[in-house]
Amino acid sequence: MATLHVLSHSPFSDGRLSSCLRLLGPADGLLLCGDAVYALQPGTAQRQALELMPAAIGLFALDEDLCARALAAPARVQVVDYPGFVELSCRFDKVNSWL
Amino acid sequence: MKFAIALFAPPHAPSSRRALRFVQAALAGGHQIVRLFFYQDAVHNASSNVVSAQDELDIPAEWRELVRQQQLDGVVCIAAALRRGILNEQEAQRYQRSAGNLDAPWDLSGLGQLHEAAQTADRLICFGGP
Repeated sequence: MATLHVLSHSPFSDGRLSSCLRLLGPADGLLLCGDAVYALQPGTAQRQALELMPAAIGLFALDEDLCARALAAPARVQVVDYPGFVELSCRFDKVNSWL
Repeated sequence: MKFAIALFAPPHAPSSRRALRFVQAALAGGHQIVRLFFYQDAVHNASSNVVSAQDELDIPAEWRELVRQQQLDGVVCIAAALRRGILNEQEAQRYQRSAGNLDAPWDLSGLGQLHEAAQTADRLICFGGP
C-alpha cells in the first residue's frame, strides 16, 4: 500500500529523515513540513540524499513552511499548499506522520 | 473522502496550526471530517481559558469557531484532559474543583472514540510534534 510519510522535525536534530528514507517503499511519498523542510538546505547531505531518491518516490514540501524559512525547493521536489496536502492524503492509501 | 484527525500537540506548536489549516482545506474541498480527536497535550486546544497575545493567532479560538460553524464532532480525551486540568462543568463538580474550563462544542470522551473514528474514516491523519 502506497504510504505518504509526513515529517515535521528538523533533519539536523534527529534521525527521523534518514530512518524514513531507508523505509520508503517504491510507490511511497514523502511530505516535508515544518522544520523538516530544512532538509532542502543547499549543500547539505540531507538535500543530496533526497535528490538521489528514485524517481518513482514522490517528494513534496509544504509551501508556507518553505516561505517562512526562505528556502527554495529543487525541481525534484513538488511544492504543495494545504489543498495539495489534502489531495496527497487522498492519492496515497495511508498517511503516516512521524510524530 | 472521510477524514479522521488526531492532534497530539498543544496550541502553541506549529503542528496544531497545520492540523487546523488541513481541516479547513479538506472541508473547502468538499471532504468530510468524521471526528477531531485531541489527545495528550492537544487537550489544551479545547481550553476556554487560553489567552493569546493580540498579535498572535488564537488557535484555540479558531478551533472552537471551526467546530461550531461546521458542526464537527470535536472529542477531547478525558484521561489526557483531567491530568492537565482541562475539565468540563460536570467533571469540575465530580472532583470538587472551583470551575470548569471546557465548554461546548467540545466533548470529553475516551480513546475508543479515536479507534472508532479510524475505523469509520477512509484516512486517519495525525498531527503532532513541532
